[in-house]
Amino acid sequence: MLEISNIDTYYGKAQALWDVSLSVDEGEIVALVGSNGAGKTTLLKTLSGVLRPASGTVTFLGQRIDGLAPHSIVEMGISHIPEGRRLFTQMSVGENLEMGAYVHAAWKRREETLDQVHEIFPVLKERQGQLASTLSGGEQQMVAMGRGLMSRPRLCLFDEPSYGLAPMLVTEIFRVIQDLRNQGMTVLLVEQNVRQSLEIADRACVLENGRIALAGECEALLEEELVKKAYLGL
Amino acid sequence: MVTLLNMVIGGLLLGGLYALIAMGLTLQYGVARVLNISHGEFIMLGGMTTWTLYTVFGINPLVCLAICGPIAFVLGFGIHRVLFRRLQASAPSQGAFESSSMLASFGLLFIIQNLASIAWGTEIRAYTYLAIPVHLAGAVFQANRLVALGCAVAIGVAFYIFVARTRMGKAIRAAAQDPATAGLMGVNINSVLALCFGLGAAMAGAAGVLISMIYPVHVVMGMPYTVIAMIVVALGGLGSIPGSFIGGFVLGLVGSIVAYMDPGLSLVAYYGIFILLLLVRPTGIMGR
Repeated sequence: MLEISNIDTYYGKAQALWDVSLSVDEGEIVALVGSNGAGKTTLLKTLSGVLRPASGTVTFLGQRIDGLAPHSIVEMGISHIPEGRRLFTQMSVGENLEMGAYVHAAWKRREETLDQVHEIFPVLKERQGQLASTLSGGEQQMVAMGRGLMSRPRLCLFDEPSYGLAPMLVTEIFRVIQDLRNQGMTVLLVEQNVRQSLEIADRACVLENGRIALAGECEALLEEELVKKAYLGL
Repeated sequence: MVTLLNMVIGGLLLGGLYALIAMGLTLQYGVARVLNISHGEFIMLGGMTTWTLYTVFGINPLVCLAICGPIAFVLGFGIHRVLFRRLQASAPSQGAFESSSMLASFGLLFIIQNLASIAWGTEIRAYTYLAIPVHLAGAVFQANRLVALGCAVAIGVAFYIFVARTRMGKAIRAAAQDPATAGLMGVNINSVLALCFGLGAAMAGAAGVLISMIYPVHVVMGMPYTVIAMIVVALGGLGSIPGSFIGGFVLGLVGSIVAYMDPGLSLVAYYGIFILLLLVRPTGIMGR
């Protein structure tokens, strides 16, 4: 479904990704793990069009998407749920969700999608009229995820969805991601919570200093010495 | 009592125009991040065009509103597309863009002003329209001022509803808060910024039409209005539509009261308020 081939990405003059290749198949959860500054967010930004790769290609459903503007990539069915939630804090919860359905195809079906999002996160229905900035961290993350789903994507790029949340909420967020996949969603998940993401993912990929250090099935990776030492503290 | 009422009504009449002008600038500066020094030139273009259309072709100034507004919009939209968008694309940072776009808008001011003086000359132009006295609670006003206030408020309210309710309006608010994230939602950010710049120019153009119904117009009339718009935007809070409205009326009232005491002091009072505001509440009335 998503094919990333030999990507190099720069922030200004500093190179952040070196020759990264990765593929995500339909219906899969692929976890992307690695320490701070390894390039995980950079990779997601390259996929969603916020950054342009200097070389290499990104293909989604058979079409080249590298070099397209973010709004065109959303229209094609990729939703990037950014790190740190990035809600529109001066808008209500309902308006934030509506903004998620901005692309034409999704706008027409926004009420139907909203019902589905409310089913996943019932608390958002109660909070509808509240300003997004007045919500707790966990609820804000739910708004961010709900907003990302409002565009009716086929592929979701989650960037640290569990960051800063209480353990119970972390479990809840991971459960939601699993449910989404069971309903047919394809997921590329960036996480620092390595153990839990490897548990729900099919495959995983370890980024180190902007390069892919390891990639493979999750069960196999959990046995790797590098993963055990660096990320699981074993 | 009557003089006080006189001043208040006079202030409201003035305030409506200030609010309209400031709303235009708050769109250009608050969303498109262009501190548009040439804002007043679009007011001048609206005023001068109306003068020509009315005196030469006999077109009703209210009809001119429907002509000058859209023309100014197209002009503003186009200028953003060919000038500011390129500056933004080539700027290394947002701060660098803000200073380069401000300087570019300075250049725009001279270009527009000089082209206008070739077209219209430097004479002061005026026409009479609806100069009928209206008695209002013991005070007397010309009907054209009431019409101007009515139009300014109608445009302001219509725009507020547009921004609060419509899909595109929400995209404008989202872009004002966080352009990058708005892009991730599918908002074509370049189009929205150009749209905001165009709408800002349209409001200036419309304000120019209304101003020409009341005051004489000339090719260098723009700058004082630009300054007033900046003060109102700072007063109301950058990027806030209701703030611009409230700020406009506050400044109008102050202007009217001070002008009653000494007409020469109103600009002094405006700057006084501006400086006081920056010291006490730099984010403005509705600012965050």
